[in-house]
Formats: sequence, C-alpha cells, structure tokens
Amino acid sequence: MRPLGALWLAALLALPFFALAVLPPFGQRMVTLVGIYALMGLGYQLVFGQLGALNLAQGALFGVGAYAAALAAPALGVLALPVAILAASLPAALAAGPVLRLQSHYFALATLALASIVNLIAVHAEGLTGGANGISGFASVLPRGPVLLAMVWTCLIATVLIYVHLFRGRLGDEARLLREAPLVAATLGIDGGRWRLAAFVAGGALAGLAGAFSAAISGVVSPDVTGFPVMVLCLTSVVVGGSRHPMGAVVGALLAVCLPEILRDFQDAWLLVYAVATLAIVRWAPGGIAELIDRLRGARSPAPNNPTVPQLMPAVSGAQRLVLDNVVKRFGGVDALAGVSFAVGRGEIVGLIGPNGSGKTTLLNVIGGLDRADSGAITLDDAHLECLPPHAIARKGLGRTFQTLMLEGDTRSADLARAVATGAIFLLLDEPAAGATDRERGQLASLLHRLRDAGRGIVIVDHDIELLTRVCDRLVCLDRGRVIAIGRPAEVRADPQVRASFLGLAEVAA
Amino acid sequence: MAYALVALGFVLALNAAGAVNFAHGDLVVLGGAIAVVAGQSTGLAAPLLLPLVALALGCAGIVAARVAILPLAARPPEATFVATIALAAIIEHGLTVTLGAAPRTAPALVGSGSFDIAGVALGRQPLAIVVVGGVLVAGVWFLLERTQVGRRMRAVSSDRHMARAVGIPVGRYIMLSLALAGALAGIAGLLLGHQFLVAPTQGAGHMLKAYIAVALGGWGSVPGALLGALGIGFFETFVSAGFGDAWASVALYVGVLVVLAFRPQGLFGEPAGRRA
Repeated sequence: MRPLGALWLAALLALPFFALAVLPPFGQRMVTLVGIYALMGLGYQLVFGQLGALNLAQGALFGVGAYAAALAAPALGVLALPVAILAASLPAALAAGPVLRLQSHYFALATLALASIVNLIAVHAEGLTGGANGISGFASVLPRGPVLLAMVWTCLIATVLIYVHLFRGRLGDEARLLREAPLVAATLGIDGGRWRLAAFVAGGALAGLAGAFSAAISGVVSPDVTGFPVMVLCLTSVVVGGSRHPMGAVVGALLAVCLPEILRDFQDAWLLVYAVATLAIVRWAPGGIAELIDRLRGARSPAPNNPTVPQLMPAVSGAQRLVLDNVVKRFGGVDALAGVSFAVGRGEIVGLIGPNGSGKTTLLNVIGGLDRADSGAITLDDAHLECLPPHAIARKGLGRTFQTLMLEGDTRSADLARAVATGAIFLLLDEPAAGATDRERGQLASLLHRLRDAGRGIVIVDHDIELLTRVCDRLVCLDRGRVIAIGRPAEVRADPQVRASFLGLAEVAA
Repeated sequence: MAYALVALGFVLALNAAGAVNFAHGDLVVLGGAIAVVAGQSTGLAAPLLLPLVALALGCAGIVAARVAILPLAARPPEATFVATIALAAIIEHGLTVTLGAAPRTAPALVGSGSFDIAGVALGRQPLAIVVVGGVLVAGVWFLLERTQVGRRMRAVSSDRHMARAVGIPVGRYIMLSLALAGALAGIAGLLLGHQFLVAPTQGAGHMLKAYIAVALGGWGSVPGALLGALGIGFFETFVSAGFGDAWASVALYVGVLVVLAFRPQGLFGEPAGRRA
C-alpha cells in the first residue's frame, strides 16, 4: 500500500472543518453520518478487504454497539462509548474461534447466522432491548451536534492514519499473502489464525464504536440497526469506495449518505442505483472508486521489484540436524509414506528421487507441517516438529518452495528467494528446476552450492536426475512410500532396485 | 416442499457457478411478484401461470449468470458473492420501486377446501404444493441422472476445466443450470406466494434457509440439500408450535453454528475438493 497522498489527506482533514465552519446543522449531521459509516466500513475492510473473507456480521456488531451505548449511557454518560466497543468486540472474539477456521462459503453462512441471531434477540428480547419499539431517551448524556461531529471525525482520521501506517509495511504484505496464497504464508511463518482473529476483533470494535455514535446521533435504537440492510449498505459502500484503499470506506460512506439526498424524490431508487453501481464496480473496477481516482490522477502502485537471491549468503545460527524417524502418512487405505527415515545435516544437499506417486511431495508436506504425519517423529535437533502448525515450523528454521503449477503468476526465483529470505536453516525445494532452461539449471546448481557453503541443509525433489547427481551429496530413492536406497549419487544410481523401479527403462535405453 | 424447490435451485446454481448465489432468494420473490402481476392482468388460473412464471424466471436466471456469475468466473468466489448480493439488492429495490413494499397475495394453485383421507384432513392447497414439488424434484433428478444434458451439467459442476477440455461448452451449461435454478425459484415463489404473501424484503430469508439447507445437507449434494430443506421445514413447524416462531429461528441458527463448529463438512459430508 502506498502512502495516503496529500490530496486525500487534505480532503480527509478539510471535510469536518468545512462542515463545522460553513454547513448548517442538517449538513453537519450528514457529515457526521459519513464519519460513522466510514468507521464501520474501515473496520469491515480489515476482514473483507485485507483478508478477502466475506464477513456478514459487521452490521449486527454495529447494532450491538448501538444497543450497548443506549443501555449504558444513562449510567455512564460518555463512557458508554468504550463500553460499546467492548460489547461489540467481545462477541466477535468469542465467535472468532470456531468461525474463522471455516472456508469462504461456510464463513459467510456462519457470520450470517450470527447476525440473524443478534437481530432476533433485538426484536424479541423485549426486557433488554425494548422489542420492536427500541430504546430512546438516553441521548441527552451523549455528545451531540458539533461535538459529536468532531469526536467522530477525530476517531476516523486517527483510524485511517493508523491503518495506512500499519498496512504500508510488513503487515500489508502479510495480509496480501494470506489472502492470495495462504499456503505460502504458512510456510513463511505467518500465523494466519492469530492474524484473522486480530482483524476480526478490531473490525468488530470499530463497528461497535460506529454503532455507539449512531445511537448518539439518532437518539433512538431500534432492531433496524441490526438488520441485514445495514450489512448490505456497509458491504456495498466498502466495495464501491474501494475495499482495500484507506480512503475507500470514506468515499463509499460519502456516496451512501449523499445519494439518498440527491435522489430523494424517488423513494428507494437510491438503493437501486447503489446496488447497480456495486455490481458495475465489482465487474469493471474491483479496486473501487478511490483507486479509480488514484489512477486518473496518474498515481501508480509501486512496480513490484523482482526478488532475487542475494549473492552473498549470510550465515544463520540454530539447529544442526533435521531427522526423520519412521514417518508414516496414509491417505485412506494408501500408505503414501510407509516408514521413512533419514537425516539431513547442515551444509548437505539431499536429493529425493523416485517414480511419480512415490511420496516425494507428500514427504516435503509432512516435514513442513502442511500434512500431518500419522506416526513417526520429525525432529530439528531436540525439537519435535510433527505436532506443530506450518507457521511454527517455518519459524524454527524450515523454508520451502512449491511446484510451479501450484503458484499462479509467481516465478520460481521469487519463490526460492522468499524461502531463503526467511533465514531458514533447512530448505525444502519441490521441483525447482521443472520447466527451467539449461542456463537456469546452471544458475540453480551454483545457488544450491552457495547455500550449502553458507551452512544450509537442503532437501530437493526433482526429476532431473543429472542435475541432482551433480549437486547432491546424497540421494534418497523412494518407491511407494519406502526408502529403497540411500547414499552417494553414483551408488544410488547403480543400485539394482533403483534401476528397476525408476531409472530402469531410461538407462537401458541409453 | 416449496423450501425443497428453493434449496434445489440454490444447489444447482451453486454447483454450476462454483459460488453462492445470494440473489437466489430474490429470484423466488421475483417469481411470486410476476405471478401476482400476471395473475391480476391476465386473469389466468394459477396452473397456467406456472409455466409462464417458470419461463420468465428461467430468463432471469440467464441474465443473472451473464451479469454476475460468468464474468467473474476467474476471480475468487467472494467477487461472485458480492456481485450476487448486489443483484439481490437490485431485484429487491426494483420491486419496491415498481410494486411498492406492501405484501401481496399470489393466486392459489387450486381452490381451497380439503380432502379427508383415512380420517385425516388434508388441505387441497398444501397437497397441490407437495404434488407439484414432488413432480419437479423427480423431473430434475431424471434430467441430471438419466440424460446427456444432465451428465454434462454435472461434469461442468464437478470440474470446469476438465469439462472444457473434453469439449463441453461450459459457459452455455452454466447458463442452462442457472436458467433451471431460476425456473425452480420462480415456481417456488408462486407456490409460497399464496400462503406467505409476496413482499420484496423476503428474499434474504429464502436465501438463508436454502443456504442452511445446503450447508447442513452437505455442500453441493443435491439429495443432501433436499433432506436439509425438509429437515428445516419440520424443525420450524414443530419448534415454532412449541416455542413460537422467533425462538424457532434462533434455535435453527444456533444449530447451524454448532454444526459448523463441530462438523464443518456438513451433516452428511462433502464431496472432496468442492469447496467454492
């Protein structure tokens, strides 16, 4: 994400001052509303925009904030605002555990069910919520008018600036990786679960704050604030404005507040217009209006620099030996790995060979934690890896690359550079030479030697037996999940069993 | 039984599109609304309206596919979610603007009255709904399992790239599935429209029920969706008889969350590799 830019910053700061200085109370009210919706939308961007998960509970959390503020205000006054933040982030945190593990469509359904429960409680738990009539008469102790406007916009500007600051750096890259290549994220040591939890709870907190402000501005809280239309409005305004642009929520909220005034003679027509605009944006400008404006102004996202592996390898400290002891992995009735044992030391390159389906990639997956071994032990010095999640294994010093077909639009060298850049001590490389030219193979070989000389241990899977013979210190030959030969490349290639199962035909023909 | 039709159309669209069609509930409402308007303006009897509504909504399904599903096929499923949510809002507000927000009654399928079978009184209207629903479900089953067209539709939903590789015009079959889904939604709208009236805001509710039915029954499984829909119907009827409508719904949603928390693959499992 690039910095906010002077124009956006000026617009963001000017709007509230302009409203306070020039606009009549009605106009100020509208600007306050823009701020409220923008706060909710900004919270929504964290989960929907940054992580790409369709959260349908944001509207309900907004409602929870509104109710909490209405209930707490008579006793606590302005302190009802933090109470509302807590009230909305608490259910978010509670629900997060089971909900965030779900995949896209189940996540949408679970959050929708959550929202429906909140709505039903708002309508039917009359003792608490006042039922369909809602709650009123609490607003006198909450800030109103210009004070409220100033508070809302102070919160909004602060949040936008924090958001830009956070997502400009490492956090933004992590979010993009989690969204677009979750497997790669895990193997680079990014804890997706914790990340999603934080985003979900922070998003809920912002929704709660926005809900509390909305209670203050309207003076009444009714079940409508928890309804699906609020959710749809939040979603569409974030999409229309721009789901990742830091000003997207503000632009979307501005339109959502102003359109109904412009089209006030046509009843619900503005919602129709807004829905059509959303559809058009999704199809033709997925970055939203804010990004469209950026593009028209000629601002470009910084060109991605093509990562390369550095010439000089820094030494790394840490574990000395990666040991596999009798590792078993079954898929249904098939033994993909039937008791594999071998060890890799630092400064050693071990090549894994074997016919298709012999368990090479499965073995890398099990070592890296993407698949869980059914039995056996995988240790890095004294630390057991077999029960750790992928990101924790990556942090212990294991990096890996993927077969190119698993990485759309990504280059081999970038994948390798990424794995090296984590500072991994042991590297697991899955077919790094597939589809490479002779020249690239040569470069790969020299890179592997440099990594070895810098004290890395490497496990490499590839079909290019000549390349492996050249670079590897030892070869391990797998056949149907078993190690059938292990030793120096020449020995393994001369092994009769290896020749029969794998090299056989090729060598006879040669 | 009408829920079953809604869920059946939902799962067909889901399999074809590879993503949830959030506009499905609004297609149901649109079907009901067309039945209302056509019934008033032409004076046709409901059984004659049935094919008319089915045809109109079949076309609506094709439009939905062309506008919100096919152009986004290469993007993550969330893009389709958002596009169909927008489509749902377009239908809802379009209906509000043209017809007004007040609920209306769709024409009854058959006259009122009831049969006595073995001493149990059965309303003619519910009975007719069950019969129409049953016939349609059987017809869809026959189409999917016993015809070449159905085999191709299933091929497209199970692996789009492979289907294209063996020469099936994938886009056309996705549109066909959506047309069928739309027609089923329209008929369901007509059937539900008499008993529960037709109002523009009902769409989200229909969609949610179908979504739940499919999630409980096993994602992408046609019989699972039907079982799920029938289960929801019975559950609502019995629990709401005991505790009232609202708490029945709360119990249903809590149930969904519990199921998702403990059996994320649905009650009856999910075909591997089919997560949208």
